[in-house]
Amino acid sequence: MGAAMPFLALGSHRIRYELDGPESGPAYVLVNGLTQYAELWGGYRDALVTRGFRVATFDLLGQGASDKPSLFISQDDQVAALALLIDQLGDTPVFLSGISFGGLIALQYAVAHADRLAGLVAMSTFAELSPQLALLGNALRTGLILGGTSYLQDLLLPMNLSDAWLGPQLGNLEAIKRQGWLTNDVYALQNLMESFLEFKPLTPLLSSINIPTLILNGEFDFLTPRALHETLRIHIPDSALIIIPRAYHAFTLERPALTAALLSAFAEDVLAKRWKGNQSIWIAPEQAGDPLVPFPSGQDHLRAIPAHGVSG
Amino acid sequence: MSRLLGPLDTTGRVPPRQQTRVAAFLVSCHGALARRLAIALPWQLKAGWHTELNTQFYREAEIVSLLLRATSWVIDPELLSLLPSWEAAWLPRPPGGIVDRTQGLTIDVAALGHALHAVIRPAALLPDHASAQDPFVLALRKIEFESGRMMQAQILFLKSSDLLPVRDTLTATVENRHLQVRELWDEMLTGIGVERREAGQTTTPAAATIAKRGP
Repeated sequence: MGAAMPFLALGSHRIRYELDGPESGPAYVLVNGLTQYAELWGGYRDALVTRGFRVATFDLLGQGASDKPSLFISQDDQVAALALLIDQLGDTPVFLSGISFGGLIALQYAVAHADRLAGLVAMSTFAELSPQLALLGNALRTGLILGGTSYLQDLLLPMNLSDAWLGPQLGNLEAIKRQGWLTNDVYALQNLMESFLEFKPLTPLLSSINIPTLILNGEFDFLTPRALHETLRIHIPDSALIIIPRAYHAFTLERPALTAALLSAFAEDVLAKRWKGNQSIWIAPEQAGDPLVPFPSGQDHLRAIPAHGVSG
Repeated sequence: MSRLLGPLDTTGRVPPRQQTRVAAFLVSCHGALARRLAIALPWQLKAGWHTELNTQFYREAEIVSLLLRATSWVIDPELLSLLPSWEAAWLPRPPGGIVDRTQGLTIDVAALGHALHAVIRPAALLPDHASAQDPFVLALRKIEFESGRMMQAQILFLKSSDLLPVRDTLTATVENRHLQVRELWDEMLTGIGVERREAGQTTTPAAATIAKRGP
């Protein structure tokens, strides 16, 4: 980051953003999850810029260096902030990708402005609050209130990351948590969580997303499990679902090389008119760059054990 | 200019001059809030939220008591000019546009409480190697931790459906108190060699406008 951060003006609020890569290139806009901040996309920025993309990252209202409204943050304002950022990109093809809460904001933008997008990547996200997700959200909010950001992190880390990632980090976990703890303010996180009090399911609107859409879901995502991604796959006509092996909810943090390669390949396929969503289901490779494998026909992709398919 | 308190001494303690200035600021603002809550607290509780008021009063008083005993105080002549300006800042400023004066005062004290508990993060100023056994270090961590819980009473009140008709005024009042507290906190820290703001980060023009015209 340079000394002076660029900001967009959303009414009386400031949105911190960053643009990298060639101005003439197709753009990737990356939207943070709830407790994240723009710097966490650093690996993606580098990988995508190398592939000729212009990369836009930003902090949502209430996050990082963007303004943190004291009492109320609406999800409509988040979509408006995203629209402002996309307006900065000119006429270049825009691919929009978001994780979790950011995926929801990306979905809301796509519902309203699909004509402005060349493609959408929805990662670890949802269009409606299942009973399980609503109750988990309430529990996480209570955890934040009673135990602060640090306790919320204590809940989210083991829920959203694998043993393979956590194991080697155990001795360094406090240092890893510290940056998130410093960046996030309790009241701002609480406002972001309470923006769901007015949330209305997007499912009836998903069919209006008539653009190529890639849906990425960790194999072991506990917070937003397969069924929530299945809703997206079924209702978005030109979609494909890719399951990330052995990954949990926060696979963008855990598997950046693989995920960046999937994002890049998706955009390149769309731009080359090779993309065929067909509401198909795939399994991602273990290593970035290896080919996708079709989900075995006849098996139920919503189940964890081999079972003959009844859905999809 | 550092982003953190220090340099710490060999036992991981914050320099006494920094302790004194930080503690004086916190005693001033939390003491003022305790006084205002004490005045607002009826002898006989008549509403459910009065119970929270009672809790808040004692927790604010606890913070003052804790700091008085946990701080390594030294003589700080600059406090002679700083303290009156801080105390003046915490005085009641009921927002314009609220006809009911009692409601206006209640909104203002809730806005001040929200700002103090939300904006001031003293534990975030501590270096990693600050002593976990030092009373002042523990006091700062406790104040920040408790602030997240104490703020809930203000959030419940400020977001209550009763206040929906005055939401814009309410929001401006809270934003204004946030700005005021942030600026005073930052100024105080600058005075002891701590720079809290990110490089390139400045006060928002809109927020400054709110501050000038008042809530």
